[in-house]
Amino acid sequence: MSKKLKEGIGLTALNIFFIVLCFVTLIPILYAVSVSLNGQNSLLSSDFSFIPKDFTLDHYKEVIFGEDILTWFCNTVFLAAVTVSLSLIFAVPAAYCFSRRHFPGRKAILKCLVLLNSFPAILSMFAIYRLLRPMGLVNTRVGLILVYTGTMAVFSLWNTKGYFDTIPTEIEEAARMDGATDLQVVLRIVLPLAKPSIITTALQVLIYVWNEYIYATTFMTGEDKYTLAAGLNALQATEMTGSWPVFAAASITVSLPVLVIFFMCQKYMTSGLTAGGVKG
Amino acid sequence: MKKTLALILALIMLVSMTACRTTIDPAQANKLTVWHDKEDAVIEALESYLKTAVPDVEIVFEKKTSLTDSLKLVGNDPSAAPDLFIFAHDKVGVFAEMGILAPVKDLLAADALEHYLPMTVEAGTYQDTLYQLPLYFETLLFMYNRRYMQDDEVPVTTDGLLAYMQKNTGRGRYGFVEQHSTAYYSAAWIHGFGGSIIDGSGTPFPDAKAVKDALEYHLKFVALMPGETEYNTVNTLFLEGKADATIGGPWMVPSARAAEINLGIAAMPTVDATGKALAPYSGVQGLHVLKYAAEHKSEAVKKLCAALTDPAIGIDLALASGCAPANALCYDDERVKNDELVQAMRATAEIAVPMPNIPEMDVMWTVVGNLLTDVNLSGKGIDDSFDAALKQAEQLIDAMK
Amino acid sequence: MKNRKKDTLLSYLWSTPSLILIALMVVFPILYTGYISLTNMNVYHWFDFTIVGMENYIRALFVFDSGFLSALIATVIWTAVNMVLQLIIAFVLVTLLNVQKLKLRKLYKTLLMFPWAMPGYVSILLWKTGMFNTQFGLLNQWMEKLGQDAVRWLSSDVSAFICCTVVNLWLALPFMIMIMDGAMQSIDRSYYESALLDGASWLDRTRYITVPAITPIIAPAVIITVFTTFKQFDVVYLLTQQAGAKTGSGFHTILTYAYENAFITNNYGYSSAISIIIFILLLVFSARYQMREERDR
Repeated sequence: MSKKLKEGIGLTALNIFFIVLCFVTLIPILYAVSVSLNGQNSLLSSDFSFIPKDFTLDHYKEVIFGEDILTWFCNTVFLAAVTVSLSLIFAVPAAYCFSRRHFPGRKAILKCLVLLNSFPAILSMFAIYRLLRPMGLVNTRVGLILVYTGTMAVFSLWNTKGYFDTIPTEIEEAARMDGATDLQVVLRIVLPLAKPSIITTALQVLIYVWNEYIYATTFMTGEDKYTLAAGLNALQATEMTGSWPVFAAASITVSLPVLVIFFMCQKYMTSGLTAGGVKG
Repeated sequence: MKKTLALILALIMLVSMTACRTTIDPAQANKLTVWHDKEDAVIEALESYLKTAVPDVEIVFEKKTSLTDSLKLVGNDPSAAPDLFIFAHDKVGVFAEMGILAPVKDLLAADALEHYLPMTVEAGTYQDTLYQLPLYFETLLFMYNRRYMQDDEVPVTTDGLLAYMQKNTGRGRYGFVEQHSTAYYSAAWIHGFGGSIIDGSGTPFPDAKAVKDALEYHLKFVALMPGETEYNTVNTLFLEGKADATIGGPWMVPSARAAEINLGIAAMPTVDATGKALAPYSGVQGLHVLKYAAEHKSEAVKKLCAALTDPAIGIDLALASGCAPANALCYDDERVKNDELVQAMRATAEIAVPMPNIPEMDVMWTVVGNLLTDVNLSGKGIDDSFDAALKQAEQLIDAMK
Repeated sequence: MKNRKKDTLLSYLWSTPSLILIALMVVFPILYTGYISLTNMNVYHWFDFTIVGMENYIRALFVFDSGFLSALIATVIWTAVNMVLQLIIAFVLVTLLNVQKLKLRKLYKTLLMFPWAMPGYVSILLWKTGMFNTQFGLLNQWMEKLGQDAVRWLSSDVSAFICCTVVNLWLALPFMIMIMDGAMQSIDRSYYESALLDGASWLDRTRYITVPAITPIIAPAVIITVFTTFKQFDVVYLLTQQAGAKTGSGFHTILTYAYENAFITNNYGYSSAISIIIFILLLVFSARYQMREERDR
């Protein structure tokens, strides 16, 4: 058997493996898709099939035109954009310092940061409310942004710091020899090299904001201030109200933008390292 | 490039800091904010009625998904809390103890509640004070699908129901289904045996024997029902015509009609051993007034309350979404009289037990849920499970203080 | 020397915004919970609570009965099983995804990210009603087609544990895959090329190049995931313990156990004491682990 043929078979097998894997992974989601395209108002059915029997796009129409989904979408995009930017603006310099500078207290702070994760945050809401109220930030977006950025701050700092640690310092030193300032070093050398980590951090923060609904529903009042996840939670079919297909359609609609962003981000996920960092 | 990006970001932040801060003007004594978690139809009926009934007060309804949790946070804080909220009566005790509710009698005319169904007023009364202006109530009902269960087949007693189930259950079909291991539903059985989940003084399971008898008897029914106690399963079985009868709330009726089920509603069967009917919990939905609003916006609140005691709104609600009005005068209306669903709830109201509104009840939902799943789903012994549940209940109630 | 001082000062300056945020949103709630745990704040003393000292802690000790102990053991097993499976599966998948000639890799990756893009409670709801439901769930519909009896997936301890693990993996794997993928991308290809020239096998390359290279990069994310897995509440609670939809399984993590035995009492003082005790418990766990790490080094 020639090498090429062997490789071809291997590749085909791999592709089949991934196609099957994707299908299996997506079964619950295909389920939601099928429910959302079905005319009947039921999440459950005793003779389920992935191809809806009573095909209709009405539920998607209802989601997009019937609810305030556009307002919620704008709210979410705004919150997500500000939170992601703030998280990075705060985390990157701090992470760089923690990675490169050996200032007193560095190790102790880092250790404490990990340990903070031990706290079961189930009751934190109360404390945060007590904190935001005197500042007049309850029921404001600034308040939510603070909560979100703060909640993700440990992760952002840690994750970027971990990656910075793996970037060899030689390149930076060379640049410094050439007279580059700290800021230039970080912006021109470290950040491009750390792209994968920056993007994973940003994505994680984005998805957190996108899917968070507990703070959004508790701290914000009025449907015009809802985020997508909060609106979705309100739409959720309870015992008394709600329509499953609309809920399913809304769930799918809410998830799609994140997937598009993820797809678009992928080409930046490859590190600058192989693209000529160290070697050159 | 980087600089512009930074600039844009800074701008966004600045704008958000200034533009998005919404301050609530405390001087707006004529504006009332009402939190609720009700269906759209109910709120639309209220809104359109109040627009003409109290035109000079601006009433804003805001749907709040996690209403009770949010209220526990904001308490009486005028900058974040609503002025009033519409919710079931079972949290009256909690919020009254917290000290955020105003007694409503002071806000009403002396004879305003004269014609209210006694059960609805009793429900919102905590430690001899009425904290809720009742609007309408809900109880569970015995519903059946006329395609499978004829009117003359409807069981009058629980033994009759059991016999019907034995005859009609099997091969993917069920004679009768209910959320058998859920506290709210099982309460009907416990009441049918003369027991209760908690008494007015906060003692859990005052009559242990009644509860155990109910559990033991009910187990025969559970054996003939699916091993799933959750709402969607039971609901779907009935709506798909796979179950002939069920016990469900009025909220099931619209979906049953949409599924083109020839729906029959009957009285609850009586327990043969005691001669008492299965007596479900009833939930009274009503208006709660927060202390701050009662003190600072009393004129507007009084106007709103007066408007809501008018039978007209009860009739509107009954017609809009099949609610059973709390005001007995509403039932004189010809259209309400002809509504089978509303009349059935009115009849059940005679036997229904209002959900306990004492704070201790909050933990009993979980305790009874555990007891039921232990007995019905995990197959543990009734005596042991009951003792464990009693112990847990006592511990939890003790832990509340 | 002067430069050194300036450096230190600058480092503090640059880290301050981040650290302040953490102090406000993470440290403050912990301190506040600690403070509340010393008070009698509950339904009967919502606004007029007073300091009662250690009373709540003394009462809390009653919750730490045999039920709590078995929940704690179950949580440790749960964390171990989930983390091991997560790391192995993510590693295998990422390795396969990085096979050079796989053209559709971006599509696969994006599709595999879908579970992550959906709000968690929606996904759990889909699993619970769509997959595991005894009457209508897909699993039982397939069982029926295979001529098997319907299974009550979530009602016994072991099968509930397995089901929760499956759902948790489904929810958590996308993140792990992304982190590992990012790390794998950072490895300089030339290492592999020279290893190949030396005739190193795939196993050797994995052992001596891939794993050492990605470990420091994924470590922060993995450590944080260990904590979230340990503190997992949603998956277990929503699948098996939700009030009104209990399935009969006795599988509890410490948080679902504490929820049922303390948090529902609306007694914030008491619940806070329980939270702090769990916090300290986890601190001890991780401190011991860290100490062992350092000794090994």
